[in-house]
Amino acid sequence: MNTQTNTEVKHYLDGMREALADLPAAEVAEIMDDAGAHVVEVAEEMGDEFSLAALIDRLGTPRAYAEELRAAAGYPSPTSTAADTGGDRLVFPARFALWSLVAGTVMAFGFAVTRGDALEVTVLVGLCAAAATLLVFRQKGLLTAITRLPETVAIRDALTKVLKSDLGKAFESLRVFQPVWWIGRALLIAAGGTLVYRPDLMFVLALALAALSLFAGPKARTDRRWLWISLPATGFALGVLLAVLSALVLRFDTYPISAPVSYTPSPPTRHNIYVFDKDGKPLTDVHLYDEEGRPLNATWYGCTGADRHDNRYPRPRVVHDERGCHEEPGVPFTVVMPTLPTTTTAPPSTVTQSPAPTTPIPSTTTPPTTATTTG
Amino acid sequence: MDTSQLLKGVLDLAVLAVLRKEDGYGYDVLRRLRQGGLDGVGDASVYGTLRRLYNAGLLTSYVVPSEEGPHRKYYSLNEPGRERLVESGQTWKSFARALDDLLGEGA
Repeated sequence: MNTQTNTEVKHYLDGMREALADLPAAEVAEIMDDAGAHVVEVAEEMGDEFSLAALIDRLGTPRAYAEELRAAAGYPSPTSTAADTGGDRLVFPARFALWSLVAGTVMAFGFAVTRGDALEVTVLVGLCAAAATLLVFRQKGLLTAITRLPETVAIRDALTKVLKSDLGKAFESLRVFQPVWWIGRALLIAAGGTLVYRPDLMFVLALALAALSLFAGPKARTDRRWLWISLPATGFALGVLLAVLSALVLRFDTYPISAPVSYTPSPPTRHNIYVFDKDGKPLTDVHLYDEEGRPLNATWYGCTGADRHDNRYPRPRVVHDERGCHEEPGVPFTVVMPTLPTTTTAPPSTVTQSPAPTTPIPSTTTPPTTATTTG
Repeated sequence: MDTSQLLKGVLDLAVLAVLRKEDGYGYDVLRRLRQGGLDGVGDASVYGTLRRLYNAGLLTSYVVPSEEGPHRKYYSLNEPGRERLVESGQTWKSFARALDDLLGEGA
């Protein structure tokens, strides 16, 4: 028997075991000893023609098989035992467990997508989900009670309908890749916890969760209780996947837009420029040009909202104070020029670069107004 | 007539009967029943019946390791089982005779 067959047979046997779960463990073991061996033997006889569908065709579903066996053996039916042990008593915990699972799954997804927003709500829901998980694993008969809740029945009916459709069949054929998904999911959880979110705190936690989800995948296939770990893990992993994909899409989207904007060649503009002569006397109404003779234009906005776009400096300062907005001409500071011979190249001054020696401007496009003091 | 309904009442007797001569494991019992003409017998019913007869103390069981495949649990008739077989067998024979008589003219 190959491994695929093995898994499917095991799946079938686990389904039987689950349908008999309310019986004493020793009795279940006895049943599985011979009825289980029978299933294995039937599967072996099928040889190459074996498939889960063929097995179910031959023996009925695991549940049906268990039901028939139960009836022939005279065991109590599962519903009556649940009623005997107080099925109604479990309705509240069952409902709590079911909805905590739903909320936990949604929350895990949202937490991953929003990259850790709404931490308080997440913690609250997480605690509920953890409590529900504990409850499901510890409380006997709770799973049966959950499966009998009207909302569970509705959900299952809807799922069955989907599974019977073509979409469901296509999905079913992906089952082979389930182990791949389990590994991918564990990686996504580990990545989500360590890289994207809290690198320091979450490292160990994320690794532990990843390992747990890896373990829960195959378990959940046969033991529904593991869904309480497997489903939120899936939600979180899908959220991480979505977050990563959207980050990638955003990055590719913004590049072509931002690139021309940030590299547009434009002469550096400043709010204002003050020019001093060699004696430290401020020059006003100076026209500035770059080395190619282009005026160093800059836009200046006055108080009235009117603007100016030219190369004449310094501009009046626009001051907002208790008197409102007003324009102040002049230079707001003074400089001390270094006492140096006037013929040498300009050394650094204490406040600002002293004006370069008056070299002729190499451009003839505009009649240059060389630094002229007007007062 | 649906034989599965008939089988329900007499499966105990049938299982005890096929174990009278020779011990057998579940699948074995199932095959013998089918070879004996009870095609409609369900796999799970046979295993359930074996469990019930065992729990009622009419059968004993022992496990035989098998070199290929899973271990097999053999069932054998014990003394109470044999007594029950004789008893139920007589009940069945008189029942069947009565039914035969009723059907005699018609069928």
